[in-house]
Formats: sequence, structure tokens, C-alpha cells
Amino acid sequence: MSGRSFALRGAALLLLVLFVTAPQLFAFAFKPLTTNDAPAIYNQGSLLALTLSHLRIVFLATLASTILAVGLGIFVTRPSGQEFLPLSRSLVNIGQTFPPIAVLAIAVPLVGFGEKPTFIALFLYGLLPIFENTLTGLMEVSPQTLEAAKGMGMNPRQRLLQVELPLALPVILAGIRLSVIISLGTATIGSTVAAKGLGEVIIAGLQSNNVAFVLQGGLVVALLAVLIHDGLGMAERMATRRLGRPVDEIS
Amino acid sequence: MIEIDHLTKRYGATTVVEDVSLRVDDGTIAVVVGTSGAGKSTLLRMINRLIEPSAGRVLIDGEDTMSIPEDQLRHRIGYVIQGYGLFPHRNVAENIATVPRLLGWDKRRIADRVEELLDLFQLDPAEFARKFPHELSGGQQQRVGVARALAAKPAHLLMDEPFGALDPVIRSKAQDDLLAIQRRLGTTILLVTHDMNEAFQLGDRIAVMDRARLLQYATPAELLTRPAEAFVEQLVGTAERPFRLLSLRCVQEALEPGGAEGEPILVTDSLRDALSRLIWTGRDVMPVADSAGALVGRVSVKGIMEHGRSLA
Repeated sequence: MSGRSFALRGAALLLLVLFVTAPQLFAFAFKPLTTNDAPAIYNQGSLLALTLSHLRIVFLATLASTILAVGLGIFVTRPSGQEFLPLSRSLVNIGQTFPPIAVLAIAVPLVGFGEKPTFIALFLYGLLPIFENTLTGLMEVSPQTLEAAKGMGMNPRQRLLQVELPLALPVILAGIRLSVIISLGTATIGSTVAAKGLGEVIIAGLQSNNVAFVLQGGLVVALLAVLIHDGLGMAERMATRRLGRPVDEIS
Repeated sequence: MIEIDHLTKRYGATTVVEDVSLRVDDGTIAVVVGTSGAGKSTLLRMINRLIEPSAGRVLIDGEDTMSIPEDQLRHRIGYVIQGYGLFPHRNVAENIATVPRLLGWDKRRIADRVEELLDLFQLDPAEFARKFPHELSGGQQQRVGVARALAAKPAHLLMDEPFGALDPVIRSKAQDDLLAIQRRLGTTILLVTHDMNEAFQLGDRIAVMDRARLLQYATPAELLTRPAEAFVEQLVGTAERPFRLLSLRCVQEALEPGGAEGEPILVTDSLRDALSRLIWTGRDVMPVADSAGALVGRVSVKGIMEHGRSLA
């Protein structure tokens, strides 16, 4: 990464931290967007607390998706699980086809309002990219490499942990990154079912016809997405550099 | 010593390897040669149980391989495949350390062994230990592949087309290097190839396979002079026969007393090299020197030709 783009990211991070900790500093910029003397800065709760709970639910949902999707990906690429490959693919695909809003509508009567239905929607929606990338990563490992590993006396567990997963890691990370970015945006609709998150700011703005609020919520989510996307991208590049493959190949 | 005893592999109705028996003595190289699909690789892979035989057995130093747990068996037998299958995420030193690490050697011992092997394969440890496979040339990858297979000092080495991915110039150098290292370490090698020249250059004995069967298992000279079947004769190449025979014999065998004009040839060089130089320089005789450089006699075209004839 060049020094210039590094500085740009540093500035974005600084802007984000300043904005969520001391939003009043930016009141002047949002004032022109308001009408009838409405407040320029969201005043129904702390932006910082909302940002943290937004991140928390995205993190928890992605963690759960990762554990299940990677676990399932490993299982269906083993000889014992191969027959479940088509079935698991269609199940995960269904998770992606269901719009999150529909999942919320179904989940609320079952588990009540709050974070739970949002968690379920994000979890289901995040499975596909991680699962597909885990499959691709594991299947891309060259048969020669596996033959050599087996021929040198690695047992199945050693082959998985020492050869297959390290080689698949960059592709799996790319899947996780995609899933996190989708979840960051999707989590805003969680606020329609009373999950704490940045969606609250946007919805409050829509209800009171206050463009400044809408913009603030959107801005924080967008900055988070850009920064997290970059951070995970860096982790991927580190994992890929050792493999001698150009990074573009897996993005 | 590797003993293959009535080994057979069937997939459904197709027999891939049919009742093959052969023995590779300690410290020798046996080369299995044949057309593609002849069952050579399957035969090789049954030795370290990457493929389970349908019938028959394999003995390593007298021990039935079925009585040794798979992984332990493979730790004891070096294995080199075409393309080498180096681990792309591990550097050269880590690749070579694979089996010692699986065996739980301590760090010091592994590091010493890796350095020893890099030296043996003429790869400067300071330059190559930290490189990744994609940073190496084909020839260097090949050497790392063999070094990795030899890391835990196995007495036996299985090689499946180990030179198949190299260009001809590097290939012949790699074959010479393997031969030198094998003579030095005394490793017992079973090598599979479809290249007859390679078989003649490396093999103490050559096994010819065709359509799942072992047609003949004999020394190179015997294969040339007494082919068991028409197919063996065809594979050996009738036009090539005299030259192959000459390349198996050294100048010492055709040494005559007397002297001659010109640059001397070494007593240990092959008769084929001697003949080729005689033809090229347009002479009938040339002087012969021993390894110290002292002249010991001469060779003649006529004398060399005697050694390239059929015994019949």
C-alpha cells in the first residue's frame, strides 16, 4: 500500500472516531440540511454506543456464519461428507435468496423483537460467501501437493491443518470480508425490529423527515465498511504473499 | 530391499497391475519403464500403500508393508512425484523439514539436516533456505523435491517420473546428480519413467511393463542382448541397440596396448563417448588416460565395435 493511500485511510479512521465520539463538532456541516430548526446531530442516543452495538452484532453474526460455513465446507470436501455437497450447497443458497427483511418478518413472531431476529438474518445471509469461498479454496489445492503430503505420511488431520487450510486461507478470508461488508449494511434494517444499531439514526431521520440524521447514519456505516474492507484486505494480502500468487486472482 | 510379491491391482473388471513380482536389492536403482497406462505408477503407489493392492504383498527389508501403519510406512520411504508437489506456502527449508517435523525431531537436528541436504544438492543455504517454491527454477524445485524425500534418511526412495517436468539439458544433469547422490548415500531406489534413455542411464536393473504385466526384469545389457518379448525389443529400439550397449561399457573393457595421436579419453568414460569422439575427429585410434592423467593404452574403432555386437 502506498504512503498516500495509507494517509487517506488514516484520515478516514480519524474522521470516524471523531464523529462518533464528539458529533457536535460537525454540527455546522449538517445544519444546512435541516428544516424548521430541527436538531442537526442525532440526539436520541449516543452515536458511539450505537456504532459499538452495530459492530457487535455484525461481529457475532459473522463469527457464527464463519464457524458454520467453514466447518461445513471442510466436512463436505472430506471423503465421508462428499455426498452432502449438493444438499449443503442448496441449503446455503436458500439462506442467501431469502431477503433479510423477510427473515426478520418470520423471526420476530418466533424469537421476539430485539437483536435475536437481526442476528438470525445476518447469520443466514452471511453463510453463502464464506461457504462458497471455503469450497473453492479447499478444492483449488493442487492434487500434486495433496499427493505429496499423503505420500510423505501426513494423516488426514495433518493434511487439513498444515496444507489445505493454510493454502485455502486467502480465499476463505475473501469470503469473510464479503460477508462482513454485506452484514454491515444489512444490519441497519435490524433497527426496524428494535435491535440497537446505526439503523436507528437513519430511521429516526426518515420518520422526522430529517436528512441530516439519515446522512449521519449512512456516513458512519459507510466509513466502517470502507475501513473494515481495507483491514481485512490487508490480512488477505499477507496470507497470499507467501503463496506467490497475484492478489487479484482471489479477489 | 524392496520385494514385490505377486502384486495385483484390479478396478472392477480391469486389471491395472497383474501378478508382478520383482526385487530391488539394497543400494541399487531399479527403473520401471513402459508406455503410459501400463500400470507403472500404480505399481509404485502400491509400495507405499497410496493404493491398496487387490492381491499379493510388498516387503520392505523383509517386513510386510501391511503390518506397518500407513503413515509410519510412508515416513520410512521417500517419495518424489512428477511436478514435485512442493508446499507453496512453505519455504525451501520448511519443505525439506516436512518428514523430520512429522517425526518430531528437535529443532537443532532439523536445522542441521536441512543445511546438510541443501549443501548436498548444491543449493546455498543462505540464498535458498528462505525462498518459496514459486521463486525457484524447475531444476531447483526438482532438487528440493528430492532433498525433501531424503530428509529423514529413508533407506528407500520411490520416484514417479521425477525428471518429467525438466527440459532435456537440465534433465541429464539432474539424472547425473541423482546417480552421484545415490551412490554416495546407498539409497535403494525404484523409479518409474516412460523414457528409455533415462532407464538405461540410471537403472542397475530395468523392469519393462506393458498392459499391466511385467514383461522382463533384467540388467540393461541383458535387456539389449536377450529381450524376452518382441515388445521389449521394440521398446528398447532396434536401431539404438548397439549404441546403448556401448554406453553401458567403459573404455577399460576395450583397452588395447600401444599409443596414439590426439587428446586422450578417460578409462572410465563410456565406449559410446569414445566412438563418438573417434567419428568426430576422423581417427581410427585414440589414446587412453587414467584418472591421474597417465597414458595407459589406446582404443580403436574396430575394438569398440566388438563390444556393440549382438551375442548371438
